Amino acid sequence: MEQLFEILSPHFLLRNALYAGLLVGLVCPQVGIFFVLRRMVLLGIALPQVSNAGIAFAFLLHTLGWHFFAHMESEKVMALSGSIVFTLIAIFTLAILERVQKGFTENRIGFTYALAGAASILFVAWNPYGQTEVLSMLRGEIISIPDLYLLSMLAIYGAIFIFLIGFHRNFILVSYDIDMAITLGKKAILWDILLYLIIGVVISFGVMNVGPLVIFGFLLIPPMAARMVTRGISMFCIISSVIGVAASFIGFYLSYRFDLPTGPTDVALLCIIFALLFIGKIIFRLKR
Amino acid sequence: MTENCITVKDLTIGYKRHCVLSNINFSIKRGELAVIFGPNGSGKTTLFKTILRIIPPLHGTIIYGNSHYPKFGYVPQRQHLDEIYPFTAEEVVLMGTFGTVKPFSPTPGKNRILVEQCLRDVGMLEFKKQLFSELSGGQKQRILIARALATQPDVLLLDEPITGIDVHAQKKIIELISELHSKRQLTILMITHEVHHIPKWVNKIIHIHHYKVVLGSLEEIVALSRIDEIPNEGTDTYGTII
Repeated sequence: MEQLFEILSPHFLLRNALYAGLLVGLVCPQVGIFFVLRRMVLLGIALPQVSNAGIAFAFLLHTLGWHFFAHMESEKVMALSGSIVFTLIAIFTLAILERVQKGFTENRIGFTYALAGAASILFVAWNPYGQTEVLSMLRGEIISIPDLYLLSMLAIYGAIFIFLIGFHRNFILVSYDIDMAITLGKKAILWDILLYLIIGVVISFGVMNVGPLVIFGFLLIPPMAARMVTRGISMFCIISSVIGVAASFIGFYLSYRFDLPTGPTDVALLCIIFALLFIGKIIFRLKR
Repeated sequence: MTENCITVKDLTIGYKRHCVLSNINFSIKRGELAVIFGPNGSGKTTLFKTILRIIPPLHGTIIYGNSHYPKFGYVPQRQHLDEIYPFTAEEVVLMGTFGTVKPFSPTPGKNRILVEQCLRDVGMLEFKKQLFSELSGGQKQRILIARALATQPDVLLLDEPITGIDVHAQKKIIELISELHSKRQLTILMITHEVHHIPKWVNKIIHIHHYKVVLGSLEEIVALSRIDEIPNEGTDTYGTII
């Protein structure tokens, strides 16, 4: 209990990690609902891996003396650029191939995942200086987030959250029934592009700050769990974020209390919540 | 004389460079009920989507009314809607009002009243909190009709509304369409691939057969289907109904 009060204190040393986790828990499920509803769950696995490859590539370039930003010394800016560029290229390539229906979706995503995974490891292997940083990202270590990154995360995730809520109807309608959306005068392609952009930015920025494992977990597990226990799309969206925020907070507390890595603890907790809701649903059905 | 609501002139439809149907000519008058009839894969839905401007025509023109583009209420084939979405019946109908609601604003009260009215009109008010995916085929169809009505349409387009549902539900849907046509004076365009699904009181039948479009009465279309004889001309007109 003492640790709980400690965590809640505004002067808590690791407060940035807690706030970043809560942000991820709130926003990622709102993006993840589109992965689940559009049946793109595999893409939710592959894209964080692609983002990770982008980060590893940026670190490698930085070590080799190549700079995207000549006057900026920050490796993090380079890494974020690499993450965003790789993720957006991957998501738009996959979206275009999906639209022209060349080959099978699963094959394309599987190939992307394998390529990105191999590329990440090779980029890290070629760059011994970046190894520690990238490996810590792979583990989902969110403890060391400086104020500047937290603020930029708050600005970007906050803007995306508000945008998703404000234009919720358009995103849902275009995802569910694109023909109806066009009939109602919606610019379906524009909304699709915006959604892909949001997915790209959320994943790039999230992987950069909290690691691919955490992003993957918070994108997919809360909506999957919420879908089992909710009726209606509004409740589904609300409960997804409630599960995300609750798992993030409890996971942080457990990791602090028992000295565990935060990212994997959060994801393990999400899996436990999913399993409990699944069992609860079965028991509820049997009782009825 | 009643004005034409939709006039199709020398229309060629298809996807990208692949032509599905060509040389299509017909018109639908305001308040008419017309049926597009033809076998599976004959291009009925493509024709619908071209009329709805979902896909562009490859050639030819579609003239909408005299002055303005009409409001369309579209009822798609329900099999095309993914059941993974946890929508309630009410939420599905509410989608019909999305064209009028501004972003960042809650659903206006008048839209909620409209949705209730549409649900009542199709006899589904008591099912409004039920999950759409848990409804029967006929009930889903009614909900989709209610969603189309919630757009407050000038023209209602129904794509295979009675396919894949039991005979009793089919009868109910046909009754509902008849009621909407007579009471609301709606212009209705409906697709079917089975001749016995065509209501007897239909005003016009657009028959797609062997990549040709033929217009005629129910009796003439049935006769044509039976003898399987279509003249070589691209579009022909039979009977006096048109």
